[in-house]
Amino acid sequence: MKITFNVNGKDRSLELSPQKRLLDILREDLELTGSKEGCGKGECGSCTVLLNGKRVNSCLVPAFQLPGSAVITIEGLQNWPGFQLVEQAFTEHGAVQCGFCMPGYVMSAVSVLQETPLPLDLKEVKFRVAGNMCRCTGYSKILEVFMDLQNRKDLLKAVHQLLGKTDGNTLISAEKSG
Amino acid sequence: MEIPSYLPKNLDELDSLLRGVTSPVTYVAGGTDIMIHEQRWKSARCLVSLESVSEMHDTLRFDEAGVLIGAAVPLSDIIRDEGVRQQLPILVDACRQIGSVQIQNRATLGGNIANASPAGDTLPVLSVLDASLWIGPRERGEFQKMKLPDVMLGPGLTSLKNNRYIAYIYLPFPEPDNLFWYFRKVGPRYSMAISKLSLAVLGWLEGKRLLDIRICAGSVSPQIKRAGRTEELLRNRPLSREIIEKADGQLREEIAPISDIRSSSDYRRQIAGSLLMESLTALIEKKSAHEF
Repeated sequence: MKITFNVNGKDRSLELSPQKRLLDILREDLELTGSKEGCGKGECGSCTVLLNGKRVNSCLVPAFQLPGSAVITIEGLQNWPGFQLVEQAFTEHGAVQCGFCMPGYVMSAVSVLQETPLPLDLKEVKFRVAGNMCRCTGYSKILEVFMDLQNRKDLLKAVHQLLGKTDGNTLISAEKSG
Repeated sequence: MEIPSYLPKNLDELDSLLRGVTSPVTYVAGGTDIMIHEQRWKSARCLVSLESVSEMHDTLRFDEAGVLIGAAVPLSDIIRDEGVRQQLPILVDACRQIGSVQIQNRATLGGNIANASPAGDTLPVLSVLDASLWIGPRERGEFQKMKLPDVMLGPGLTSLKNNRYIAYIYLPFPEPDNLFWYFRKVGPRYSMAISKLSLAVLGWLEGKRLLDIRICAGSVSPQIKRAGRTEELLRNRPLSREIIEKADGQLREEIAPISDIRSSSDYRRQIAGSLLMESLTALIEKKSAHEF
């Protein structure tokens, strides 16, 4: 069936099986291989993307529910002004080891900043990040990143610009200016 | 061959679609459970989205006596809702312990019920809240109203035959005077774990007297049933350490857990009793029961 939806600010029309997983559509049909498959069961969070502004496991979203949706993947953040700040925080804290889980963590990090009134304490942060796993187990450093990001006002502003709208327009203008 | 799939926009579209369909349909709300059951997912012959049905996805409607929640409202919307937080904190507590934020952004109460797992995290809470399930398609404009035990019959088994679906969940507000509540899920970790066992308690304590109590344990029997005999033992009695110990014994006897990969039957009996003791002892010690 023909399915039209928006990915990283661009409308896409694809011929897809209704049961195909969003993760496979991204990786196979759109060659956006930043989203990773760890478990395929919604437990590891490596495939986390933003669907209509909310983070979801792309391995658990079927194609037939996608028409009219807006998806943002890790690739879509490349030209977003906040990305450098997030990237910097992960590297400063030494939170990246093999890197496989990182696209998922970055999507969650961006998403957390608009989900709950900030600042979150460590207990709440742990709770909010429970849907992402790092098998190199560098959790304490990753949690430091999440705690730290909440204090960066310029980043919060960028997140608001990104997720205040979910139709991808912000990304398009970011791409143009970038 | 490609199977047919539908995205009905509202209840009218859904019901008229179903009038034209004779084969069994597979409903998808958030998809978080069905897509990982590979056999069920792959063998689907016709997909119908419930997420796209606006009334089911968007409804959180309060009246004086309760709240009507669309069966396809994402759990994160329920968790965030100010009215639900105030009136039904026990439900918020249960929803927050399901999966992760990524899951909560897609998963739904309707899905948790229709999936019919004895370990379904919201089911004991819906049971003590005395939820009514509104079942479609509508006949002469009316939903059929059913209670949880009449819908969830056993592991993976519901009474929803002939493409019937859960449209709404109605939750009456418990009488607020003297109310206490308790929910605890026991699992290997706080999030992302299938529960070994859970216990929901809702009750009314006036002074030392337990006016009424509703108790429901999850993952301890094929069906989600309230512990009627334990409730009976406690109802309208002064709360004492002796009666709490008796209730512990009664609950262990009353539930029928199995041993499986997550826990042994003995462990489940013991913990169910211990959680009940924890919730009631807290009342004697004047702590609020959910401050654990």
